[in-house]
Amino acid sequence: MEHIFQSLAQFWEYTGFANCSWQNIVMIGIGIVFITLAIVKEWEPMLLVPIGFGMIVGNIPMFPGLNIGIYEDGSVLNILYQGVRQGWYPPLIFLGIGAMTDFSALISQPRLILIGAAAQMGIFGAYLLALLLGFAPNEAGAIGIIGGADGPTAIFLSSKLAPDLMGAIAVSAYSYMALVPVIQKPIMLLLTTDKERRIRMPAPRQVSQKEKIIFPIVGFLTTAFIVPSGLPLLGMLFFGNLLKESGVTRRLANTASGPLIDVVTTLIGLTVGASTQADKFLSGKSLLIFGLGLLSFVIATTCGVLFVKIMNLFIKDPAKKVNPLIGNAGVSAVPDSARVSEVVGREIDPKNHLLMHAMGPNVAGVIGSAVAAGILLAFLG
Amino acid sequence: MMRKRILLLLTLAAVCAGLRAQNVSDLILSEALAVPDSTGIVDEYGRRGGWIEIFNTSQGTVNLAGCYLTDDRTDLRKSIIPKGDLKTKLGPRQTTLFYASGNGNDGTFYAGFTIRPGRTIYLVSNDGRTIIDSLAVPADLPVGKSVYKTANDLRQIEFETQATPAVPSAGMPNIDMNAATKAQDMAEKDPHGFILSLVAVTVVFSALAILWFLFWLFFDRPAKKAAKATSVISSEAKGGVEKSAPSDEIAAVIALAMDMEQGGDVYAAIALAMDLYFSDTVHDAESFVLTMRPKEGTAWNDKKQNFRKLPR
Repeated sequence: MEHIFQSLAQFWEYTGFANCSWQNIVMIGIGIVFITLAIVKEWEPMLLVPIGFGMIVGNIPMFPGLNIGIYEDGSVLNILYQGVRQGWYPPLIFLGIGAMTDFSALISQPRLILIGAAAQMGIFGAYLLALLLGFAPNEAGAIGIIGGADGPTAIFLSSKLAPDLMGAIAVSAYSYMALVPVIQKPIMLLLTTDKERRIRMPAPRQVSQKEKIIFPIVGFLTTAFIVPSGLPLLGMLFFGNLLKESGVTRRLANTASGPLIDVVTTLIGLTVGASTQADKFLSGKSLLIFGLGLLSFVIATTCGVLFVKIMNLFIKDPAKKVNPLIGNAGVSAVPDSARVSEVVGREIDPKNHLLMHAMGPNVAGVIGSAVAAGILLAFLG
Repeated sequence: MMRKRILLLLTLAAVCAGLRAQNVSDLILSEALAVPDSTGIVDEYGRRGGWIEIFNTSQGTVNLAGCYLTDDRTDLRKSIIPKGDLKTKLGPRQTTLFYASGNGNDGTFYAGFTIRPGRTIYLVSNDGRTIIDSLAVPADLPVGKSVYKTANDLRQIEFETQATPAVPSAGMPNIDMNAATKAQDMAEKDPHGFILSLVAVTVVFSALAILWFLFWLFFDRPAKKAAKATSVISSEAKGGVEKSAPSDEIAAVIALAMDMEQGGDVYAAIALAMDLYFSDTVHDAESFVLTMRPKEGTAWNDKKQNFRKLPR
């Protein structure tokens, strides 16, 4: 009888109840909030459901040493986490993004590429602020990349520069990407006048297949020669796009943009979520990272919109003016930020469709954030 | 066709060979000691003698197996580094030591020659011909002193032989492994981050501006010129009345009119047909298997004809 009680007592020590702390409960609560937002509000469900559930998985209190935790060498979660830790999930996601992205909007109006560059100011604004708050340069660089509004890029760079902050940075980046409509709209309304919002842009010209095929090759050569450290992201992005546009590798493009990206997104979401173990995640630094992440989105949106306004000063022909409402789309967050341009534009003029125009700076933002990540890696890695 | 394939295979082989060579070429002979003093290290047999240190300058693991060590330019295959020993894999920025015992059969890490001052040691690739690196041992090298190569920091790839003989540091990289990281450098040189931000913003803008310029110059401008020329020709053909492309607004009006006139079903059918046409899914995927299905049953597929008649 005594042996039974001893066994039960021993078993109790292994249960989650015996090892639970309030921090675990808080993190599980955040995970449930993420899942709820994803299902009820449909905010980035593909990301928030795996991340939210991963948070719950990673914060189940457990007896250490059973080789099941994400930070315990050789455990299943730990093996899956290596894709995040070593930074090989993000390039695979970029391969899929490249195979899904149509760069026609960008090719037809090359001048919109520059908006994608202007919106990267958010990265460097957050970098400066993070340094001001006492973060080390490598940590500041990893935090700054949240402003690129690109989850895979944020994970890639933080895994190289500040692995300890990766959980907070990834969750922050994905959370704000989901909140793009909430963050960007007030800034866009604040910085533009009614007249500017009504600007109608000329319909983009039709892009030939030859241009679409040449774009990934020229784009890759140009960017990779300037920033070779962005090779994993840029190479995969343009390679995926070439698979799509070449027309002769449809099966490969379909796999990259379908099953492959789905598998990697599931794994990256789950493991990033699981990496937010309460003892590593709940800290003052994480709160600062969330604050800086929000600021970086604000700066990026502001710079994008203001850059278009400045561009318009140099455009004499009124028919060629650019609607500043597409400036926000310079942050990557494809295609959510372009959708925000469309929605805000139609609120004032229901017949003014900005989506196709906004897709130009939007995809330029993906390239821009990968280039920015490459520069930060070259300087701080 | 066959020629092309052979050419392709040869190119691939050349590329693979190049990659392999590039891999082993990251090795350097970083230090050598010819004559030890009484404090020199001893080998596994308890002997005190000369040694050669090899350093992997790359960021990847390099396998030394199959490479050669020699002190004779005319005999590059003098002492082979045996294959099949896992220890011959040299990690990034790691060193390994070879005892110059004069007998390569002593073990994996023993060279089949002794080091004599005034001679040059060569590290030869596993093809037995390509010299990867060499280290000249000065004729006046004092007893107990070694000759070595060093670099200013880990990022400097060019190692230089030091003229002054050093106190031997067998198995230790001759560079400062604890040199400041890039982030520490930046913290010192650019504490507020302005320089990095300025440089980075310039680079991002430059990269995308070059892309913009290339596409504007080679595609956008010619395309717009061609469109303008077509428009002029078209307007001239129609007696000077220019016909412009329908705007979004006109397209929306046409769509609404179609909807009202034809009804939702027809509109949906047109949309579906166009979608199928553009997505190239009009045709079914063919299985490439030919099947014959006669309407009438044959002796091969009609069950009735295959039933065995039971004897009554």
